[in-house]
Amino acid sequence: MKDPNDFTCNDARPLVPLYLDGELTADRASPLRRHLMDCSSCRTATQVHKAQQGWFVPTPEIKVPTGFASRVARRAFQGDTGEQPLPDAVLTDAVLAPVLPFVLKMTAAAAGLLLVLSGVLRSVDVPTGGELRADDASTITLDDALERLESLNADESRGAGGKGR
Amino acid sequence: MGALAMTTHSSHDHGDLPPRTAQAREDALLVEETLAGNQLSFQLLVERYSDRLFALARHYTQNPVEIEDVIQESFLKAFRRLDTFHHQSSFYTWIYRIATNTILDFLKRRGRSPIQTVEDPEILARPEPTDGFAPGANLEREEIAEVTHKVLAELPDIFRTVLVMREFEERPYQEIADVLGISIGTVESRLFRARARFKERLMKDYPEFTPGGQD
Repeated sequence: MKDPNDFTCNDARPLVPLYLDGELTADRASPLRRHLMDCSSCRTATQVHKAQQGWFVPTPEIKVPTGFASRVARRAFQGDTGEQPLPDAVLTDAVLAPVLPFVLKMTAAAAGLLLVLSGVLRSVDVPTGGELRADDASTITLDDALERLESLNADESRGAGGKGR
Repeated sequence: MGALAMTTHSSHDHGDLPPRTAQAREDALLVEETLAGNQLSFQLLVERYSDRLFALARHYTQNPVEIEDVIQESFLKAFRRLDTFHHQSSFYTWIYRIATNTILDFLKRRGRSPIQTVEDPEILARPEPTDGFAPGANLEREEIAEVTHKVLAELPDIFRTVLVMREFEERPYQEIADVLGISIGTVESRLFRARARFKERLMKDYPEFTPGGQD
């Protein structure tokens, strides 16, 4: 174990800043204090260290702006965007309201146009053949239908035979 | 409104508790209430620590707008991470650490000395202490503060941080260690190097203000 009386300048110097910062426990500070009383060189080193602290003078305080805390809290609870998010109702009114009449009018116009087009197409494109129509909704029996088809075929055969002659 | 949000302004009534413990309890309650969605409780936390964090930030930048921005960002970061605060340290230590890191990030983004990016001060040899010096008696307080601020701005962040915490804020080594997440031994050695580096830089950049340099 080291004899406390062997406390040298090399032991003392690293402890000087801690001593001045109040970070040395009593049992570590005690031998240092004894050494400083006897050693002018280490006393000077201590003064030098203390003098350096004179450079760290307090700078003027910066006042916290009025309303800072409430602004920060508001931003925190609004998702840290810095912008006030719009509620859904506001979104509907503010964004959809100007375009809603236009959308409704266009939808109505498109529906009317489709109705007209479908009527025209029905009258133009439905295939027909004599009395038999694709859209014939009347109820006929299978026998009647076959009889009509045979009749149509017979007419066509006659027509074709006449031309072939 | 939370219980503390209604009573916090009479917090000095906790006469039977040590002030620190009472404050820690109030902080814990405010944190709980904030997490439960009480905006006013968070506002009270911000009010409670704004002064000290503004005081901290002014050692890194003296632009009031930058100070406000960086402290606001610190509180918003704290709010986002509030559920990770487990009261292992005081709320102040926790928010102080966030603020320090936010300030350093801000300074990096803004751009400072390029020396920091290539220098690892922890592995540099311990600089030889130079002869003593103190601010010249002819220097005004504001001049001293300005010179010191400029010299600090040239130091690597790890040195600047410990000097600010110790020399300006007079924080105990244990608190510095807690905030920076390092051991007390590292605080001691880092502070020793920081002071030596501060002295070196001061004598180099401002020889006219230091003894022996005014000839």
